[in-house]
Amino acid sequence: MAKTYDYLFKLLLIGDSGVGKTCILFRFSEDAFNTTFISTIGIDFKIRTIELDGKKIKLQICTTAYYRGAMGIMLVYDITQEKSFENIKNWIRNIEENASADVEKMLLGNKCELNEKRQVTKERGEQLAVEYGIKFMETSAKASVNVEEAFFTLASDIKAKMEKRMDVNNPPKGGHQLRATEPARKADSWLSRCSLL
Amino acid sequence: MFGNLDKLHTGWSSGKPTGTLQPEEKMAILEVIQRNELLETAERQRVGRLVERVEKIKQRAAECGPRYCRLCGQSFGLLGPSKLICDDCQKPVCSKCSIELHSRETTGTRDIWLCKICSETREMWKKTGAWFFKGIPKYEIPQQRTSSSRQSFRDSKLRQEKPVKLGIKCTDTSSEEEDESTTEVDAQKHSTAVLNGRSSYCSAFNVGGNRKHPLVNRQNSATDTQSNQTNYDWETASISTTNRNGRRGSVTSSMSMSETSSANSSNGMGCYREPCFGWLELSVNYSEADHTLDCSLLRARDLPTMDVTGHADPFCKTNIITPYGSKQQKWFATKTVHKTTNPEFNEKVRFLGVEPDELINGSMLYVVILDDDRYGHDFLGAAKINLAPIYSSGPHRMTVPLDVEDNFCVEAAMSGPWLFGQILIALCYNTKRRSLIVRIDKCTNLMAKDKNGFSDPFVKLQMRPDSQKKKFKSSIKWRTLNPIFNEEFAFETRPNDLDKQLLLLTVWDKDLGKSNDFLGSLILGGNSKGRRLKQWKDCIRMPDCFHEQWHCLSGEHIPN
Repeated sequence: MAKTYDYLFKLLLIGDSGVGKTCILFRFSEDAFNTTFISTIGIDFKIRTIELDGKKIKLQICTTAYYRGAMGIMLVYDITQEKSFENIKNWIRNIEENASADVEKMLLGNKCELNEKRQVTKERGEQLAVEYGIKFMETSAKASVNVEEAFFTLASDIKAKMEKRMDVNNPPKGGHQLRATEPARKADSWLSRCSLL
Repeated sequence: MFGNLDKLHTGWSSGKPTGTLQPEEKMAILEVIQRNELLETAERQRVGRLVERVEKIKQRAAECGPRYCRLCGQSFGLLGPSKLICDDCQKPVCSKCSIELHSRETTGTRDIWLCKICSETREMWKKTGAWFFKGIPKYEIPQQRTSSSRQSFRDSKLRQEKPVKLGIKCTDTSSEEEDESTTEVDAQKHSTAVLNGRSSYCSAFNVGGNRKHPLVNRQNSATDTQSNQTNYDWETASISTTNRNGRRGSVTSSMSMSETSSANSSNGMGCYREPCFGWLELSVNYSEADHTLDCSLLRARDLPTMDVTGHADPFCKTNIITPYGSKQQKWFATKTVHKTTNPEFNEKVRFLGVEPDELINGSMLYVVILDDDRYGHDFLGAAKINLAPIYSSGPHRMTVPLDVEDNFCVEAAMSGPWLFGQILIALCYNTKRRSLIVRIDKCTNLMAKDKNGFSDPFVKLQMRPDSQKKKFKSSIKWRTLNPIFNEEFAFETRPNDLDKQLLLLTVWDKDLGKSNDFLGSLILGGNSKGRRLKQWKDCIRMPDCFHEQWHCLSGEHIPN
């Protein structure tokens, strides 16, 4: 029997080729790193169950632009590749067209251990995140920087959204008055009227 | 997942050649898809367990009115627990069966009470991801562990023809044993058993199952090849019906997560909670490639009651209504779910040959919910779904409020083989004569029993129990299938007794020189349903005036 869990969140890693999506995924799911670059064939996903506030959350993380059912999306760029950062805007447009409007987004600037080759400053990353109203982190899959934090942040943001949604979206009706007299239920069909006889 | 492969070339795979996939690449992708399927199966089962849990709590709930706790049924008052109102369902509940919650809102937090059903439902919405998907995702109800082999056998058997009901006690033990002795279920044989009314299932539920059996319908419409074809396809579709597995739907319809309904609810609840006819939950999908419209009828909630015990025996009839009238000659009927006002249908109907422009040009999917009774199908509610948006947007799952009766509902109720014709009778309790006056007005579409293509009908009447033991016969109308009688008969009785008495009517074909042929029967009384019960009750409630009503005749003999 599979491990039990309370929630299943489907997350997505998207970004240009070679920014390190698979490496981030690998670091998070297996805590390992592989320097050889193997382009992912088509699709791949990994699973890891984390615990937040005593709830087990199973994360299914895809490295594909397969938006259906995704609750959270990590937008990844490479801080040493200007082009990958510029393309983030295209990716966001892509998300807006295809993913659910409720999807939780986050921006990651990967390969932050390669500071000497940096082309995109941290400030520009932060600026872009503020522009879209999403969170931002610089990560390194190789040096294991912020990978764990990024996924936990995204997962807890989704969880918070869920709790907010389930509490707020219900009709507010002015408190839990203890009504002394409940109005008699209307007869819902002619049958109930007949049976009074 | 393959459908999105074309998008990949915009991402990290953009640098790769855009030729066909290598075998090993295909293998890798297939492996990922398989892994994903395993995960999704496990998830469907998990969601199924969560859904089942809430359904079980719902089934156990007492639900006996505003003066009692919704769950445990304890009455409120000085001695009993104090009464709380659940914030979601607005039903009264005791403190033991509810939880207090700090609800965060735009105006700050406030404390609310939730009954166990609603709090568990909220929890289920969280755990299944329904909060995000705005509906319960696909799920499978886990198989019962006890007598699982027997269950699976029964399932396979039930799929052959019997309605599958989770909440209903099947008392058809005899037929079950009979079937289990033979490993292969012969559907043909079994259906004939149903036809002859020998199946204990039929008698146990007191339904004229013979009327609605697909095989019967097929024989009747055998001349019409096109409708025959569709019948067949529908039948296979209903065999593959996801009876227990892989069904989709939300447990509670009152708790809609969509933005629109939350907007409605804030300016005044009630508008979407309790409509007069209840709700129908269904999903509709149009495949342009195959020109098929798939419609899954999932469940209905809060249907009107049809008998004195507060139940109904609902089933659905569905058709596509084009601007020129109903598309299929025959309305598709689901199985009947007995003794409930909250039926689970879980049946799939497939309409073939549905052209795209039919959808755009104002066609509607029409679902009529009717009460199954041998003397007529009474109206419980109708759902009309405009198909134009379905065409443009793919699978649609929705919960629609049921609407009032119209001409198409009458067409649906009267479609299907009412082989024995109809009878118009009027009842009046005459207070001066202290008797029930029964006026036989006329019959239509009676069966032809004579070689000349007609019958020579007359009507026999009696009351049961009747202290006078009176029996009446109408005059004989020769050579007709639509006789007009206009004859009155009086049974001496008291209004109080009338509630416990039955009026038995049988129509016969007069044959000289041999025994008369049976043409049909009708029983009216306090345990009738729907329109028949209404006529009976009206007659008691409003004496000294005639209450007229059409009824369908049944083929069932009334024993002496």
